[in-house]
Amino acid sequence: MLRVYFDHSATTPVDRRVVEAMLPYLTEKFGNPSSVHFYGQESRAAVDRARREVASLVGARPNEIVFLSGGTEANNLAIRGVCEQHAEHGRHVITTSIEHSSVRGICDALGRRDWEVTRLPVYEEGVVRVEDVRAALRPDTVLVTVMLANNEVGTVQPVAEIGALIRERRAAGQKIWLHTDAVQAAGGLRVDVDELACDLLSLSAHKLYAPKGVGALYVRRGVRLAPQNVGGHQERERRGGTEAVPLVVAFGEAARLTRLELDARAEHVRRLRERFEAGVEARVSDFVYNGDRARRLPGVSNISFRYVEGEGLLINLDMQGVAVSTGSACSSGSLEPSPVIRALGRDDELARGSIRFSLGKDTTEGEVDYVLEVLPRAVETLRRLSPLYQKARTERACTPA
Amino acid sequence: MAYSDTLKDHLANPRNAGTLADADAEAEQSNPVCGDRLRLSLRLGSGRIEAARFLAYGCPPTLACGSALAGMLEGMTLEEAARVTRERVTEAVGGLPARKRHAASLAIETLRAALESLTRGAF
Repeated sequence: MLRVYFDHSATTPVDRRVVEAMLPYLTEKFGNPSSVHFYGQESRAAVDRARREVASLVGARPNEIVFLSGGTEANNLAIRGVCEQHAEHGRHVITTSIEHSSVRGICDALGRRDWEVTRLPVYEEGVVRVEDVRAALRPDTVLVTVMLANNEVGTVQPVAEIGALIRERRAAGQKIWLHTDAVQAAGGLRVDVDELACDLLSLSAHKLYAPKGVGALYVRRGVRLAPQNVGGHQERERRGGTEAVPLVVAFGEAARLTRLELDARAEHVRRLRERFEAGVEARVSDFVYNGDRARRLPGVSNISFRYVEGEGLLINLDMQGVAVSTGSACSSGSLEPSPVIRALGRDDELARGSIRFSLGKDTTEGEVDYVLEVLPRAVETLRRLSPLYQKARTERACTPA
Repeated sequence: MAYSDTLKDHLANPRNAGTLADADAEAEQSNPVCGDRLRLSLRLGSGRIEAARFLAYGCPPTLACGSALAGMLEGMTLEEAARVTRERVTEAVGGLPARKRHAASLAIETLRAALESLTRGAF
C-alpha cells in the first residue's frame, strides 16, 4: 500500500542532510559546551554556528536567539517571562482566539493569577483585525501575543501591522511588548523580526525537517524576561541547562537549508496544493474551505466535509495509507470541536468534519493524485452511513427545481 | 486514540448500512452533548429479526457499534435482542477506549427504543 504523509503541520520528516550534520555530535563530538577543554570548545563552536544560522533565518542577531526544547517552551518563556518580569507595569495581555494550545494554556493560567486576558476574534476568514488590537490596547497592556500563521487553517496574521502599532505605543512611553508564535510560519514564508517589529518570536525545529526536542526563542536586544529554567548560566542566563548539542546542530543545519530553499519549497507546495484543491472540487460535493484562501501558508488546506465526522474520515484515510489530521475530538460523550474552526463561526457539524491536509517539500504529484483517488471514496463511504446526509438528500429530492 | 482492527474494519466496510423501506420498527437516538446519532431499522419475520440496518453520524466508535449491532441482531428473536448488552456490543467491535464507551451505550439505547416501538405497535 502506498503511504502518503499529508500532515507536515504536525511534524516533518528529518532531512537526510540534517541527520548527517548532527551525527558526529551523537558520537565522537560529545563535549559539554560549558567545558573549557578541546571537547567542550568543539561543541561550543557548533552551538555558535547553529545560533548564527537560526538567527539568519529570521533576520536576528545570534545573541538574540535562545535555544530551548521546542515551541511550547518558547511560548512559555516569552509570555510568562515577560509577564512575570513586567507585572508592575500592568496585568493585561491581548491574544487571539486561534492561538496554539500552548499559548492558550499559558494565557488561561495567567487568567487564574489575576491577569486580564483579551482574546480577539478572527471572523470567518480566520484573521485577526488590526483595528481590534488597537481598540483592545490599554495603558496597562504589557504583552500582545499573536501567532504569525495558524496551525490548523494556516491563515497568516497581520503581525507587522500590529508590530507598528506596538512601536507607536512604546514611543509614547508605554511598557509593552509583542510576541509572535512563528512555529508554523517559519517553514512556509520569509520571516524577518525587523519587518514584523516583534520583540519575541517562537520557533520549533521539527517543523523544519529537523528532529523533535529543540526550538528557539528570539528575544530582541534589550528585552528583559524572567527565566523559567533557572540554575544554569547557559543561554546568557535566560535558559539554564546543558545545551542539547546534537539537536541544536540539527536545528542550525535545518535553518540553513530552509533559508536557502524556502522559496522553492513554498512554490512546490503551493502548486501541489492547487492541484489537490482543484481535484477535490471536481470530485467531492458539499464541502467548505476553512480560513482565508488567499492569506494562508502555501502547503496547508483545511476542509470541512458536510455530513461526516473528521475522525472517521481520518481513520478511513489512514487505512488506505493517507495520514492527515483533524482538530476535533469527541471524548467521554462530550464534543470538543476544534476551537480554531469554531472561532471561524462554523457550526458544530462543520467543525467536527474539518480535516487538515498539509503538504511538504518532498510531496509528489503522484501522492496528491493518490489522495484524490481515495478521499472521495472515503467521504462517500461515511456519507452513505450518515443520517444527516440521507436527510439532506431526501430534502433536496423534495425541493422543486 | 488507539482503535482495534475490528473497529476500523467496521468503519471501512460497514455491515448492514442503510434503512429498510418495509421496516417494522425504527428508532433514532442521539447524544445531545456530542451530537452523535444512530438510526436503527428492523424487519421481522417468523418471530425473528429478519433484517437490521443502521445509519450513524459521529465518531468512529459510534459508526462501528451501529454496524456491529445491526449485524448481530439479524436472526435473533426479540427476547434475545432485548438481552443484548453494552458489553456485548463493545466486545463485537474489539473493545473501546474508556473515553469512547458512550458509543456502545448509544447503540443499546437505540436498540431499546426500536424494540419499545414494537411493543407499542401491532406486534
